[in-house]
Amino acid sequence: MAVSVRPERFTMVHFDADEIRDLVERLVADVGLPADAAVIVEVDETTPLGRSVLASVDPVVLQLESGALEDPKRPRQLDPVGAADVLGRLLLAARDRRDPAFGDPPPDEELPLPHSVAWQVYCVGRLSRLGYRTQPARRRYQFRNRHGFTDAADAVFDELWAAEGLTWADLTAASDRARAALPA
Amino acid sequence: MRKSFPVEDLARDERFVRVPLMARIDDPRSARREARPGKGRRGPGRLTPGRPDAPDAARSLMHGIFMGEIQALEGAGRTCWDFEVGQGSGEGVPEVPFELKLDMARQCWDEARHCEISAKLSEHMGTEIGEFAENTFLYEAACNPDPVLRLTGVNRALEGLAIDVFNTMREFGEVAGDPVLEFCEDWMLADEVTHVKMGSDWLRRLTADDKERQQRALEFQRVVDKLFSLGGFRGDEEDSPVRLARRFRELAGFEDEEMETLAEVSREARQELEARIEANRTAVEG
Repeated sequence: MAVSVRPERFTMVHFDADEIRDLVERLVADVGLPADAAVIVEVDETTPLGRSVLASVDPVVLQLESGALEDPKRPRQLDPVGAADVLGRLLLAARDRRDPAFGDPPPDEELPLPHSVAWQVYCVGRLSRLGYRTQPARRRYQFRNRHGFTDAADAVFDELWAAEGLTWADLTAASDRARAALPA
Repeated sequence: MRKSFPVEDLARDERFVRVPLMARIDDPRSARREARPGKGRRGPGRLTPGRPDAPDAARSLMHGIFMGEIQALEGAGRTCWDFEVGQGSGEGVPEVPFELKLDMARQCWDEARHCEISAKLSEHMGTEIGEFAENTFLYEAACNPDPVLRLTGVNRALEGLAIDVFNTMREFGEVAGDPVLEFCEDWMLADEVTHVKMGSDWLRRLTADDKERQQRALEFQRVVDKLFSLGGFRGDEEDSPVRLARRFRELAGFEDEEMETLAEVSREARQELEARIEANRTAVEG
């Protein structure tokens, strides 16, 4: 397995590249990516914002702003639990994108927010069942913000959270179904 | 029971972690980085549902409100106790009119209710109590030994900030279609307007014959306002995450001139923070 973390030495945050590499190696194995998959984790430590994107699937390139891996209680410190949530979600999305049976979603930057959030729910639900600590209530709130504060949206959230083996078409259909229940 | 309780002794359980304000200020990272090849200038920006991180930004802000409500309760409670009843001028043993204590008791009642609302709202938003760090600068402003300065700093500056934050959250809830958030914020906003009005009224009454004390109080308010502008997080700029709620501030007794001053103070705070970050970064990159 070839996992590399950039930068190798952090100066603006107190992150340890080796700790991030170990975490990603464990996640790669757990989420079912090929053992020989090349994974590059690029951290922009110049900003405390928290954007995280899957920039490429072969090699797998994860681009994150430092806030995405930061402990919300300890500025500039790595939060291993939160980092596993973010990195695991991106790696599961990479696995989905590499699977021809999943379908062909648009690039991340072109994904409509509701579809993107529905996919995140699907990823984090699976991550949760792999034994990682996640925040289902937080994810439900994110989902409601994009799909409405309705019983229908909550039902779709529950479906996505518990799902396995979905395709991109399944995900977008579920997201659209939830939004269709929004009051006019 | 001792008077003027120090911030270090506030009761918190193991869920809460305090982060000194200086830890934030000394952070060399910048949320408003300069334009670089391939990376446009980008900051956190206004809290609108269009932001991909909006739900998490709202959760963090809501947790900050929750901590603020706890400290506001603690501060108003201290003000009920720390001063003797009398007509003192601020010299010697601090004294306040009994009616001021009654106002603070009423505020305690409001803040306790806000704590309950905020805890339930946080749960609604998927936030665990103590999930984010606590800043204690709110309570620290409530430790001023002069009751006039204390009320001016807390009720006008701090509760004024609460008006801006609650209005921002109320609007966010409305646009995001979250009726629970919108309703709760609107409810609390009404109380905050009353709290600010209390501060404005007591400042005027207690300093009617002491312009020097009034000036000291207003200067203290300016210091607190600048601190609470959080490096431009609250301001009147288009991209300020929390905007000045001018209409509600007007209802609370703020003059137009004061709001212009506050907008200027926020701009200064933003420029100073950006300069500080640049200096921090230069030092790190050394």
